[in-house]
Amino acid sequence: MSTSSISEWITDQREQRTLKDWIQDLGPFVMLFGLIITFSFASDRFLTEGNLIDNVAKNAVTLLLVALAGTFPILQQSIDLSVESMVLLTGVVTVVLISEFGLGLLAIPIAIGVGMLAGLFNGIIFTKLKVPSFLVTLGTLSVMAGVGKIITGGSTITFRNPAIRTISNGEVLGIPNLVLWGLLIYVGTIVLAFRTKFGRYCFALGENERVVELAGAKVDRYKIYPFVLSGLLCGTAGVLLTLRISSASPNIGSGLMLPSIAAIVMGGTALTGGVGGPHRTILGVLVIAVLNNGMNLTGIDSFIQEIILGLVVVGAVALSIDREKIDVVK
Amino acid sequence: MASQTHTNATNVDQSDPAGGDDHSFRVEGISKSFRHVQALKDVSLAVDHGEVIGLVGENGAGKSTLLNILTGVLQADEGQLFVDGEAVTFTNPREAADYGVSLVHQEQDIIKTMRGYENLYLGREIERLGVLEKETMRKEAQAFVDDLGINIDVDERVRNYSFNERQMLEIAKAFHVSQKSENPVILLDEPTAALEESGRQILFDLVNDLRDRATFVFVSHELDEVLEISDRIYVLKDGERVADMATADATTDSLQKAMVGRETADEYYQVPDQQRETDLGETALTVDGAVYGDTVGPVSFSVREGEIFGIVGVEGSGKQQLGRLLAGDLVITQGSVSVDGTTLESPTVSEMVDAGVGYIPKDRKSEGLLLYQSVLVNTSLAMVRDMNGNVPLLDLDAEKEATIDAIEELSIKTPGPNALVHGLSGGNQQKVVIARWLAQETPILVMDNVTRGIDVGAKEEVYRLCRELTDKGVSIVFIGDELPEVIGMSNRIAVMANGEFVGDAIDASPGNKPTEQDLIQEMI
Repeated sequence: MSTSSISEWITDQREQRTLKDWIQDLGPFVMLFGLIITFSFASDRFLTEGNLIDNVAKNAVTLLLVALAGTFPILQQSIDLSVESMVLLTGVVTVVLISEFGLGLLAIPIAIGVGMLAGLFNGIIFTKLKVPSFLVTLGTLSVMAGVGKIITGGSTITFRNPAIRTISNGEVLGIPNLVLWGLLIYVGTIVLAFRTKFGRYCFALGENERVVELAGAKVDRYKIYPFVLSGLLCGTAGVLLTLRISSASPNIGSGLMLPSIAAIVMGGTALTGGVGGPHRTILGVLVIAVLNNGMNLTGIDSFIQEIILGLVVVGAVALSIDREKIDVVK
Repeated sequence: MASQTHTNATNVDQSDPAGGDDHSFRVEGISKSFRHVQALKDVSLAVDHGEVIGLVGENGAGKSTLLNILTGVLQADEGQLFVDGEAVTFTNPREAADYGVSLVHQEQDIIKTMRGYENLYLGREIERLGVLEKETMRKEAQAFVDDLGINIDVDERVRNYSFNERQMLEIAKAFHVSQKSENPVILLDEPTAALEESGRQILFDLVNDLRDRATFVFVSHELDEVLEISDRIYVLKDGERVADMATADATTDSLQKAMVGRETADEYYQVPDQQRETDLGETALTVDGAVYGDTVGPVSFSVREGEIFGIVGVEGSGKQQLGRLLAGDLVITQGSVSVDGTTLESPTVSEMVDAGVGYIPKDRKSEGLLLYQSVLVNTSLAMVRDMNGNVPLLDLDAEKEATIDAIEELSIKTPGPNALVHGLSGGNQQKVVIARWLAQETPILVMDNVTRGIDVGAKEEVYRLCRELTDKGVSIVFIGDELPEVIGMSNRIAVMANGEFVGDAIDASPGNKPTEQDLIQEMI
C-alpha cells in the first residue's frame, strides 16, 4: 500500500496529460537513448565496460550529488548557486584534515559539517535578512571559492592514506563504492522528498508560502533546511571526490553549477518551484554525463562542448517552465 | 433548453439573415469545450444598440469563457460572432477591439506608476520616428475623457488616483481601445466586486450616461445590481443559456431559480433548521483586551463550544485584522488570547494551530490553497505537522484515509484525492480549505467570509457543514460582509467599528435575530 501510494502520488499529480507533459516526461529518456545510440556508432570505446563505469558512472556521481543538492532549494522556489564552491571548500578541508592534522576518518564528518554550516549560513541570510537566495548564494559562491583556494595555497594539495581512499575508490561485487554511495544517497533524497514533512513542505512552499504559513508550519525553518541539505550533499560530494583522487586542486568542483541546474530542470523540477522532485534528476545527470563523455571520445573541441552544454541548458529550461502557472517572466 | 425564454421584440429580427439586422452584436450557437469539459453549449445572444445587458450564472456556468470568446482571448469550437450584421472572427483582443468589443476586467488592469494618458494609450502609443508624442497623447486623452464626461486628470500618475477614479479610467480605456467602432460593446466583468458603495453609484451613473454611446454587457454575482442597471438579462447554467428575460419581468428569485435550476426562495441560513437552538458548552476561546497597533482593539470576548460568534463591520472596521490576530498571523501587541484555559501571549500561527485554532482566509486562491497540488496535499497540510513520530516519515495511508473521509463528508466533487485543486470549482475548492481543519479535528475555526465567491448551492452546503460542526462542539468565529448570512448563522454578533466592538455582542439566538438595519445602525 505504501509503495503504491508513493507512486500514485508521484504519477497522479496531473490527471490530464498534454503533449507538453509527455515531452517533459519522456524527453530525457529519448534524449539519453538517442545520445547512447549516436555515441556507440561514433566511437568504438563508448560502449566498453571501462568507459561506462570509470568515465561515465564515476564522473556522474559527483554531478548527481550536486544536482540532488540543488533540487530541494529549487523545489521550494529558491536556488543555491554556491554548490560548486561548497564542493571545493569541503574537498580542500578533507585533504587538509587528513594530511596536516592526521585526523583520518574523522575528517569526513567534519568536512561534511563544514558544508552544512555553509548551507545554514546561506539559509539564514536568505530567510532572516530576506535577501533573495540567488543573490546570497551568488555571493557565497565567490566567498567560499576564495576561502578554499586560500587554504590550498594556490596549488594542488594531496594526502596519503590508502585505507581511507577505499571508501570512495573500492568496490563491492564489481561495482565501485563511489557509484554505490551515489545510488544510496539518491534513494535517500527520494524518501526525503516524498515521505517526509520536510519534502512535503518543499513542494508546498514552492507553490505558495502564505498557504503553508497559515496552515501552521514554521515556514522559516523549512526554508532553511533545503540549504543545509544542499551543504550536506555538496560536502559529501567534496569528500568522495577528494578521496577518489587523494588530492584537491584549487579548481575542484568548478564548472559543476551550470550542468547541475541543467540536470535538475531536465529532470522535470521547474525553476518556478512546486513540481518535480529528485527522483528524475538522475535522468538529467545521465544525459549530461553521457553527452560530456561522448563529446570527449569523439574529439569535439572543448570550446564547442561549452556551447552545446549552454544550449542544452536553455532548451531544457524552455521546455520545463510551467507556463500555466506564470503570466509574466522577468 | 430555454424553457424560460421570453419572446421579446428583438427575437423577431433574428429570423433576418445575417446582415441588415440592427443588433450591434450577436453571437450564434457558440460551443466551447476544454478537453472533456463542455464549457459552453450552443449559446446565442443578441445585443441591441444602446442596451445594457445583464449576464448572470453560478461559478462555472461559463460566463468567463463566453467573455473570453467575445474578446478573442479564446476561440469558439462552433458558432459565429456578428458585429453590425457582419460575420467576424477574433483571434486576439486587439481584433475584437477593432470591432469595438472590449472588456473591463474584474481586477483593475492599469499600471499604477504610469500616468493616466499613458495607460489610456498603453500598447497603442502615438509615435513619430520611434519617439513618443507625449504632448499629443496627453491633449487627446484629456479631450477624450472630458468628452465622455469622466472627470479625471490624465496627466496625474494613476497611483495618486482614488479607487473610483481608477475605475473610471478603466472604462475610459475600454472606450478608447474600441473608438474605431461607432457603437462600442463594453463588457464589464464583475466591475463592482472591488468597489465600495460610492464607487458603485458612480459606475452606475456613468453607465447610464453613456448608454446611448455604447452597448454594455454587465456580468455580476450581485443580482440586485444586475436588476438595477440592465434592460435585459441572460442567464447561463452549465454552459447553456437557460433564460433570456426582460429586467422588468425578472426578480432576484426568478433569476436565482434559473441559475440554480430549483427553488431557493428562502436563503438557506434563514431556514428554521438553521436557526434552531444549539447546546453550548464550556468557554473555548477567550480574547482579553487584544490590541494590534492602531487598527484593532482593545477587544475582549469569549466564544463557547458549539457557538457561532459573528463579527460584522464596514470595510476598514478592523474585523479582518481581528481574524488575522486570532489566527496568529498578526501578532498581538497588547492583551492575550486564551484557548481552553491556556493563555497565549503574542502567539504565532504555529502556536495558535497547536492550541487548536484554524483560520480560513478570505482569499482562498492566494492564501488558502496550493492550487497546483493535489486535494490530498491540501487536505493534509495542517495534519502533517503532527506526523513525525518515532520514524520521521509521513503516514501516507493516514493522509489518504483522512482525505477520502473529508471528500465524502463534505461531498467534494473531485476525480479523486490525487486530482489537482486547480481543476475544482470555487465551492469545492473552499471545501478543501475547510477539510484541512476537519482532518485535523480543529476545535476552533476562524472563518473570514467563508462563502465568498462560491455559488448558492455550495453556500448551502457550507452552512449545513458549519451547523454539523457546532453540533459536535466546534466553535466558530464567523467574520462576514454578508449581513443576512451572519445573522442567520450566528448565536451572537459583535459589531466592529474603528477597531473596537460597539457595545456588547448582540444576542442572535433563534427568535431574537437582529435585522440588517439594527446592525447597520451600529456599524456606521
